Amino acid sequence: MDAAALKLRRSRRDMLVQALLVVFVVLVIWVAISTAHTNLTELNMTSGFGFLERATGWSYSFSLIDRSIDDSYSRTLLIGFLNTLFLGLICIVLSTILGFAIGTARDARQLGLNALATVYIQLFRNLPLILQLVFWYAVLIHMPGPRQAFTMGEVAFLSNRGLMLPGFNVSPTVVLAMFAVIALLAVVIFRQKSLQPVQKLLLWLVSGSGAMLLLAWIFAPADSSIFSIPAQQGLRFRGGIGVPIELVAMILAITLYGSAYIAEVVRGGLNEVPSGLTEAGKALGLSSRAIWFHVKMPMALRTIMPPLGNQWIFIMKATTLGVAIGFSDLFYIVSTSITQSGQTLELMGLLMLSFLLINYSLAQLVNFMNARLALKGH
Amino acid sequence: MATNIAKIACAVAFAAGVAAPVTAVAKSSTVTAIEERGTLLCSGHNGSYFGFVEVNDKNEWKGLDIDMCRALTTAILGDPDKAQIVPLSWAQRFPALQSGDVDVIIKATGWTMGRDTEVGLQFSLPYFFGGTQFMAHGDLGITEAKELDGGTICVEAGTTIERLAGNYLKTLGIEHTMVSYEKASELRAAYLANRCDAFAAWGPFLAVLRATELEKPDAHIILSDQLSNEPIAAAMRQGDEEFVDMVNWMIAALLIAEEEGVTSANVEEMASNPPNPKIARLLGVDPGMGERLGIRDTWAKEMIAATGNFGEIYDRNLGKGSPYKLERGLNNLWSHGGVLYAPILD
Repeated sequence: MDAAALKLRRSRRDMLVQALLVVFVVLVIWVAISTAHTNLTELNMTSGFGFLERATGWSYSFSLIDRSIDDSYSRTLLIGFLNTLFLGLICIVLSTILGFAIGTARDARQLGLNALATVYIQLFRNLPLILQLVFWYAVLIHMPGPRQAFTMGEVAFLSNRGLMLPGFNVSPTVVLAMFAVIALLAVVIFRQKSLQPVQKLLLWLVSGSGAMLLLAWIFAPADSSIFSIPAQQGLRFRGGIGVPIELVAMILAITLYGSAYIAEVVRGGLNEVPSGLTEAGKALGLSSRAIWFHVKMPMALRTIMPPLGNQWIFIMKATTLGVAIGFSDLFYIVSTSITQSGQTLELMGLLMLSFLLINYSLAQLVNFMNARLALKGH
Repeated sequence: MATNIAKIACAVAFAAGVAAPVTAVAKSSTVTAIEERGTLLCSGHNGSYFGFVEVNDKNEWKGLDIDMCRALTTAILGDPDKAQIVPLSWAQRFPALQSGDVDVIIKATGWTMGRDTEVGLQFSLPYFFGGTQFMAHGDLGITEAKELDGGTICVEAGTTIERLAGNYLKTLGIEHTMVSYEKASELRAAYLANRCDAFAAWGPFLAVLRATELEKPDAHIILSDQLSNEPIAAAMRQGDEEFVDMVNWMIAALLIAEEEGVTSANVEEMASNPPNPKIARLLGVDPGMGERLGIRDTWAKEMIAATGNFGEIYDRNLGKGSPYKLERGLNNLWSHGGVLYAPILD
């Protein structure tokens, strides 16, 4: 036997093992499906996705688009999917910003700031999320009712029904367009090399609000103002943007919990930066802010990114706790649909697929960012 | 799966030439499984649904539905304490039944077309009737659902109530927000904290809640609208007709006993000296009562001795003997102005 023949034998053996593995997996899946099918037929249960076209006949607490009890299951599930995505993204953004701030404080030399950050992290990280969620929800629903709502200058109201904010007098489509324009501006502005970060932020805020006002002015109904202010009327507020209290509680609980974890990730990343680098920055006479922006953070980000991605995926999965307080996230919609339609396996499959899709995309985004951050030659 | 195993077991038994007693009826596979296990698995609740399924801190269960379950357990196994209560949320009850975690659902479950067909359930005779109603905070000063315009309504997720309330308010053309909760305790807390203006639930449940659970009963008003009259029945897996017969005749026997005045106090006396042929048949003095179902002839007698007739069960859990003092109303026998009746015992 010469080396070439041995190599060939080995590669063939590897191929065979892999092929067997694939066949085995396919077989297991096939057996599972056919068993389920046989059992369902025996129980006289209808299976298949025909039910998706049927009207649900029930309503729920929150939706970004118009909802009615005549919606089909497919539309209702889509609304649940959008709610999960919406809540998850808001919590990811807020937790990341807060987590970076607190992680930096945890790394700071001032004892008071450091102690505060430590207490925050230990408190919110070590209590189960569901407990925190139920606690915040209980606190929020014991606020005054809509008739005695806290008000901020008669344009925004906070009651146990939710937060009422002034909004633009336009359709949801235009609001989506606004977000798209703001995101586009962010991309354009933050790619400018010639500006300082603070200048970029200011420029983005000013141009973003300008663009929003312009769009609102173009698309608002001709005979009314471009702003819509909430006003008390009977049992509710009319006009403005209503953020239901369930959504407020979800954002609050998940953000506090998620940011405590992210803060630890950030602190770990900042600790990893060799002290020689910060000392070199000091020797060059850089201010501590400049050191943080140009020396520490860029280096630390490489350590922070992978665990941060995991935290983002965790936050997305945490949205499923909505079921505990009646917030209509995807899991809540699926579990109600299961009871109302009896299509357990199909709906569970859809739920799994949706979360795979969301979290796989997130993981890909993190990988992409990682690749962008990688140091040349490292 | 269980049915298959039972079929194979039967086939093997015959092939082996085991002389099985030849009966006129095929034995229910569910009943066989219950007898082998020695316990009957019944649906409980994730918390207390007052008057129907209540649990205390010692994990002792009581309520109308629990008593119905204990009656069924006595009929099949001869001992009410062999009932094993499995805690389930509303949303879990059908999957749990289909997967065999419980043998039967007796838990304020309404008979609907979807459940009867798609979900693959089989329903018994209705043993209780209750309609969906709204309860609202007294300080709103309203008396009917029409005045709920713009309000927030709380319901339990995954129930028929959720659909009925949505449908009713849409028909009235009322703009509203519906918030639904998985657990009754969450729902109560939300309603009491004034998160919702009104609370849609099953009439008997609301009456029970208002009578005992809430600090000031006058602070809450049950609105005049009657959204439905829901027949409540026991639910079983489809494909075991003999078990459906068993549950139907369990309910029928409780109603017949009340009609004929057979109570837990006088059942022994009636059995030793039956006042009429019907009672003699019911209590197994004349054979046939058990043989036709494949169990003991005296099952109904033992059951009535253990739990009492339907009237006794009602009074103990919802009526005069309970803290709730609910009128029987629709849930009286047909001969007393209600709508409950039993099929003919021949």
